[in-house]
Order: sequence, then C-alpha cells, then structure tokens
Amino acid sequence: MIMDSSNKAPARGAVLAAALALPGLLPGTAQAQVTAPNATLVQFKYLYYKDYQESGDRMKVSSPALYLLTPLTDDWVFEIGAVYDSISGASPYYHTTLSGASGEGIKDGRTAADVTVTKYFANRTSVAVRAAYSTEDDYRSTAGGVTIRHATPDQNTTYTIGGGYSGDEVFPTVGTPTTNYKRTYDAIAGVSQVFTPNDTGQLNFYYAHQSGYLTDPYKAYWGIDNRPNKRDQFALLARWNHYFDSANATLRTSYRYYQDDWEVVANTLTAEWAQTLPDGWVLTPNLRYTTQSAAYFYYDPIYDPLLGAPFPPGYLSDPDGFYTSDQRLSAFGGITGGLKLSKTLNGGWIIDGKAEYYEQRADWRLGGEGSPGLETFKAQIYQVGVTRKF
Amino acid sequence: MKRLLLMVAVAVLAAGCESMPKVQPWEKGNLAKPEMAFDPDTLEARFADHTYFSKEGASGGAGVGGGGCGCN
Repeated sequence: MIMDSSNKAPARGAVLAAALALPGLLPGTAQAQVTAPNATLVQFKYLYYKDYQESGDRMKVSSPALYLLTPLTDDWVFEIGAVYDSISGASPYYHTTLSGASGEGIKDGRTAADVTVTKYFANRTSVAVRAAYSTEDDYRSTAGGVTIRHATPDQNTTYTIGGGYSGDEVFPTVGTPTTNYKRTYDAIAGVSQVFTPNDTGQLNFYYAHQSGYLTDPYKAYWGIDNRPNKRDQFALLARWNHYFDSANATLRTSYRYYQDDWEVVANTLTAEWAQTLPDGWVLTPNLRYTTQSAAYFYYDPIYDPLLGAPFPPGYLSDPDGFYTSDQRLSAFGGITGGLKLSKTLNGGWIIDGKAEYYEQRADWRLGGEGSPGLETFKAQIYQVGVTRKF
Repeated sequence: MKRLLLMVAVAVLAAGCESMPKVQPWEKGNLAKPEMAFDPDTLEARFADHTYFSKEGASGGAGVGGGGCGCN
C-alpha cells in the first residue's frame, strides 16, 4: 500500500499545536514568547571565587544564594532572590600594592534581596516590577525597575523596554565618617526573534547614567583615586542560540559592545556548548574573551619623581585632577574557560556544578596596547547548585 | 560612523525578520528546551554579572534596576 503523505504534515501539526495549547503539556516557554510560566522553581546556589596574583592572594568571596519563581495565579508571577556575600582578603591600595600585605586585609558582608512581580496580559504583554535592596558595612543600595515585554501574534518576535533606578549610599570605614550618594538611571530596549525552529536571537540596547560619588573611597584614602562624578554607559548586547539536532546540543553565543564617557571601550564574546547526554546529564563547556581600553584618568604605575608612590607624575601641579590606579579601569584582555555539569533527577530535581578559571593580562588586549606594569590577575570561580521544579 | 553601523545592523535585522518564513507553534519543540533560553539559569547569570563587575570596567546589557554594590 502506498500512502500519500502530501498535506499530512500541516494536519498533524495542527493537532499537535492544539495538544500543546492544553495547559501543562507545553514543555516550557519557547524563546521570544510572552507566556506566564506555569511551574514553580526553587533554586539554591553557592558561589565561591578567589582572586590572586603572583605577589599574593586578593579577595575571596563566598556567596550562598536563593531564588524562587512561582505563579500566584494564571497571570501573576512572583519572584524573590536573596544572597549573602562574605568578602575577605586584600584589595589593592593602588595598582597591585595589596592592603593585606601588612595586616589582615578587608572583611565585609553583603546581604541583598530582590522581589519581582510580573503581570501577564491576554495580548501577549507582560509588565514586571522589580525592587532590590542590599546592605554592606560601608554601602547601601535601594533599586527598582519596570520591564515591559510584548510578543507579536505569532509569538516569534518579542519587544522589550525597561527602565530602572538605583539610589546608593557609600559610607567608608576609613577617614572622617561621611555618607556619599550615588544614583544610577538605566534603560533597556531590545528585540528577540525566532528565526528557524533551531535559531533564536536577541539584540538589546542598554544605557545607564550614573552620578554622584563614583570614586573608590579606600583607594582615595590609601592611594590616589578621584573620579568624575558622572558616568554615561552604553552597551549593545547581541545573543544567538542554535540547536544542533544531530548532536542534541545547544550553542549559546553572545557579543557585547560597551563604551562609556570615561573612555572605557570593551568588546566581550561568550560561547557555551550545552551537550545533552544520556540519563539527564548536560555537560556545558564555556569560553569568554573580553578586551577593554583604559579610562582616560587611569595612570600607569610610574610615580612622581619627587613624591614617589602612589602619586602620579605631575600630581602637585593638579592635585584635584581625576586619577585612578584601579586595575579594573586599565587596558587589558581577559579570558575565561569553564565547565558545567548538571543532572536532572527524578521528581523535578536538578543538581549542578561549575568550575571556571579567569586570567587578565595587559598583552591580551586587542586593538591597542595594554596597560604596562601590572601583574597578571587570576581568579578561580566555583559554584554548586540544586534546583527543584514542581 | 558607529551610529551609522548600528542603524544598518538594525535595518538588516528588521528586514531579515520580515522576509523570514514564520516558525509555527508545532515547530517550537527545540526552542522550548531550557538550554535554548538566553539566561537558562537565573542565579548563574547573576553570579557572572557580580563576578565580572568586580574585575572589569564594563557592565550591563541584559536588564535594568539591578542595584549597586561596593565590590572592592
């Protein structure tokens, strides 16, 4: 018997589509859709990283974190996150001269929590309102934001716009007790697009305006640090995910272009290969490369011939000028390599672990010279997690 | 020049979206896999932001209203 299979596919597709429309049958929300999640997710993760250089260890951070997402009704979703960061070790006073070299260094704890409430509307639109608060020994941040998403009727294109605000207080534990203020306004506009059954992409434009006290108070106290009281940041983030049927694997890639009016320009590329294996295992190697230019007021570790370290050359003629010796604002390239392993267990449990190595070097910068005279900066980053879906 | 490049990129993307054959609901099985999400793991994405914020000069691009930290 010869079966005529022409025109069968759409009919089969329509039946499948109808079946998928039944509640609970859709395996998840396909990308670029705006559909309320119908499952609760609870996640616990523990992050540990340590920064170090040839001359000594820098900061160590250990962070247990909790995240919950739960639908309250069919169209209201609630999310809450909490994290405690325990920070210890040595931070550079200037360039690579570490605070911990002659003492016990820095100890700080940071407690942060955030709540997001999202309302889903029938016209494929969602409105998410987020509030966040964090407190440290010397820093307090109160932040909030609104993000609106809207999908086209075919759910293949999603538009996102959002705006946020963060009001921060900085009260350093050195020098005369004082409280300094810092404000950030940020905005995002983006589009996500399903291109094929195996391809989805996203393009986000991001802008942030910071004003107020942007100096590092410790570097200002122990070294020389005086930054402009305004910073305008712009980022373009492009992401592309492709599913390989033959390999049963997903390639996630991203590119970010960043520039600010401190003259930091950065280009960052990431790639992750999520390989599905038998028995619920997923193995995900990841690579990241970033290259950035220095802020215009960053000075190299060459000091004033009269004053010596940490004073930049010519400091006496312009003591109120802008200066920083912060490695983060120098010119460098950075590479991260890592591996994540996760396993889905019975009953909606997922356990995972991830290890990464990061290295930052002046001569890994592309498109220009790196900042001379800094030691290679390295970090080991580890995380373990457990997730439950129900 | 950068602005011009951006505008061209957006125009090409928009034109590309218009001419794409539509992906139908029953073709979205792979797209619905958790691995195909842009940030499949919420806490992992937050950890990455936090880690790189403490080591590099660039940040932002994925969301708004995150809140600041001392992060020395």
